[in-house]
Amino acid sequence: MKINWFSPLPPARSGIAQNFAIQLLPTLARHHEIVLWTDQDQTAPEVQSMARVVHYAPADPPWREINNGTISIYHLGNQADLHGGIWQMSLRQPGIVVLHDLRMHDFFFMFWVHYRKDRDSYLAALERWYGGEGRRAGEAFCRGGISPESMAQEFPLTREATRGALGVVTHSNPALAGLKETPECPVTVLEHPFAAAEESRYRQWLAARSAAPRPPYRLVVFGYLSRNRRLEVVLEALAGIPARQQFRLDVCGQLWDEGHIRAQIERLGLGSLVKLLGFLPESLVEQKLSTADLAINLRYPSMGEASGSQLQFWNYGLPTLVTRTGWYASLPEDAVAFVRPDNEIEDIQSHLRVFLADPGAFRAMGERGRQSLENNDPEKYVDAMTQFAAMALRRSPLVPALALAGRIGNDLSAWLHPAASAYLLDRASQEIVTIWPGKTGGQDE
Amino acid sequence: MKVLVVTSGVPFIRGGAEILADNLCQALSAAGHAAELISIPFKHYPPSRIPDHILACRLLDLTETCGVRIDRVIGLKFPAYLIPHPNKVIWLLHQHRTAYELWNQPIAEDLIHYPDGPAVREAIRQADRELIPEAKAVYAQCQNVANRLRRYSGIDAEPLYSPPAHVGLFYNRTAGDYFFFPSRVTGVKRQSLVIEALARCRERTLVRFAGEPDSPRELAACVEAIRQLKVEDRVEWLGLVSEERKRDLYANCLGVIFPPVDEDYGYVTLEAMLSSKPVITCSDSGGPLEFVVDGQTGLVADSTPESLARAMDALWAGRRGAAAMGEAGWARYADLKISWEHVVETLL
Repeated sequence: MKINWFSPLPPARSGIAQNFAIQLLPTLARHHEIVLWTDQDQTAPEVQSMARVVHYAPADPPWREINNGTISIYHLGNQADLHGGIWQMSLRQPGIVVLHDLRMHDFFFMFWVHYRKDRDSYLAALERWYGGEGRRAGEAFCRGGISPESMAQEFPLTREATRGALGVVTHSNPALAGLKETPECPVTVLEHPFAAAEESRYRQWLAARSAAPRPPYRLVVFGYLSRNRRLEVVLEALAGIPARQQFRLDVCGQLWDEGHIRAQIERLGLGSLVKLLGFLPESLVEQKLSTADLAINLRYPSMGEASGSQLQFWNYGLPTLVTRTGWYASLPEDAVAFVRPDNEIEDIQSHLRVFLADPGAFRAMGERGRQSLENNDPEKYVDAMTQFAAMALRRSPLVPALALAGRIGNDLSAWLHPAASAYLLDRASQEIVTIWPGKTGGQDE
Repeated sequence: MKVLVVTSGVPFIRGGAEILADNLCQALSAAGHAAELISIPFKHYPPSRIPDHILACRLLDLTETCGVRIDRVIGLKFPAYLIPHPNKVIWLLHQHRTAYELWNQPIAEDLIHYPDGPAVREAIRQADRELIPEAKAVYAQCQNVANRLRRYSGIDAEPLYSPPAHVGLFYNRTAGDYFFFPSRVTGVKRQSLVIEALARCRERTLVRFAGEPDSPRELAACVEAIRQLKVEDRVEWLGLVSEERKRDLYANCLGVIFPPVDEDYGYVTLEAMLSSKPVITCSDSGGPLEFVVDGQTGLVADSTPESLARAMDALWAGRRGAAAMGEAGWARYADLKISWEHVVETLL
């Protein structure tokens, strides 16, 4: 296959760019011809060595070159600055949409209202899928009357993100099952790909970690730190345990409100225990994760995403605290320590006390996580994606067929009395089904 | 029998397919049948209009007229050949070529430039795969078209050749000092390739082009190329010529140049053979290659200006050989026994 790959790419500060793409592209490029399409101003040299990178303007894409590909694969998530152009492309040319977040309300709010200053289109999207109730909720949200978390839960706009797609890929089965709405096309769930480091290298990390003097034990929070990463709760919990001096917390990543977090650290008297290290270059990631003792990887509410960070923690054999929600709730009980969404502080403190009592038990937990990475082999991902793409492509003729059906309905309603249009609608729909019977033959159909 | 010949056409565009449809109707009438031509107007852009046309054809009822049964429908062009009928045969002139072999052919492509182009291409292909087999029999106007139908749609068709119009009126005269290139002026016919070749000929060759441009833009591009290559004195643009004038131009030329891109059939080749003239064509020209035997009835060049120029020079400098090839072409046409009687008998 010749695949058009629309995705955030490094150096964009996104898990999809820094983690997912880097993990998957070398394997994907071994099996298929890949063109990496980007509307970013720059891309990292390491990406350019993996596949051909071509710049496009979402308003005027080079269709001829795009159409020379077999299929387009669009990666969507909630960062509107990175995914806006990709979503626009996915609307104009049906392909496979990979949903890195299932709850896409934040994306559409930011895309339309924040960047485009087009509140009407945002409200129209809500009305399209949720009727008047959706529009009214959107209006209330714009006035500050509803929280973003509540909007994401009640009006996730998942179908807006997958409108017209030939197929949808997600990385989280439980999150998909818990969603109120599902896309109107075939959906498949694939394990988030991750290429685990060589065993010898892993053993070196373990040895280095064992050799380091303890306490203090090093806790790490890592990644793109939006409000739902629960950093405020983590700080509260840490401040509340008497043995807090036995821990150091490194916060690595871009914060949604650094000033707010700094103020909280000061208020809680954690200045000597917590460091805000910001976004780490790749060279420092290994140093930080290979010397950490426990990762804290909470999400609440979950946007339905699988966590590339979690797989990275396991790659280093790091034990992890995760929220028992969404994709995280499906992780093996013996490979993570769960935090209940409604008992976060209590559970975090309890786990930290157990950790101090028996660090070895937590190290074993991290090792089991590391072993589970076999399921995330990029080769398996590419194989499954290839099969799904072939099945989805067979649905391609249905796209113009459905558009035609819509045009007929609209046209007839404009000039023909409903009582008289039944026969014609029936004839037209029968013929459309005869011409384009929608044979896909895919197991996921 | 009551026979309807169904085809599609772009208003104000007339080429070989339109001539063939008219001739088929005349041949059916001459054989004593009641025959009528139905041409569906076809607009191929934007791509979303194409499924509209497919459905429009499918909604037509040609089973009877005023209570009298229509005995046979003969489908010629996309999407008209998809019109349903219990006694339909398809004589395939060609499928919608930009959804197939011309998808990414720079001088002819169109669908590929639209965001919905790939989906419409697949919709066209699926419609063909699903609905062409409804016909009681499928013929193709030549082997080249039959080969494409097998390659892209997995459907077998038997080639069925037809003679050009006014087949008995072609004649031969002493070769003059020009090549003749009759065709619509459009990218796939490659007039521009011939102009480039002219600039590379060693001999002082001359080409007379006849035919209307599909659009003013196509003609302007050729005129500009002639100006840039400084071959104004070796080109004559005759525009649309009468049938009589065309036969005269065939009869008096040294040879015929016909280098289209993967032509379906190409009456030009047959008309040249009937005029006892050698044909210069290209190795990727499709239909003409079923008739032009390199070095015997004409010359087959690569589709480069240099190769085409060599072929033109060879005929220009070897007039006796050119005449012999022309005679061999006439003899080959006679051997093929191409006739409307055979076409009518086969299709009914």
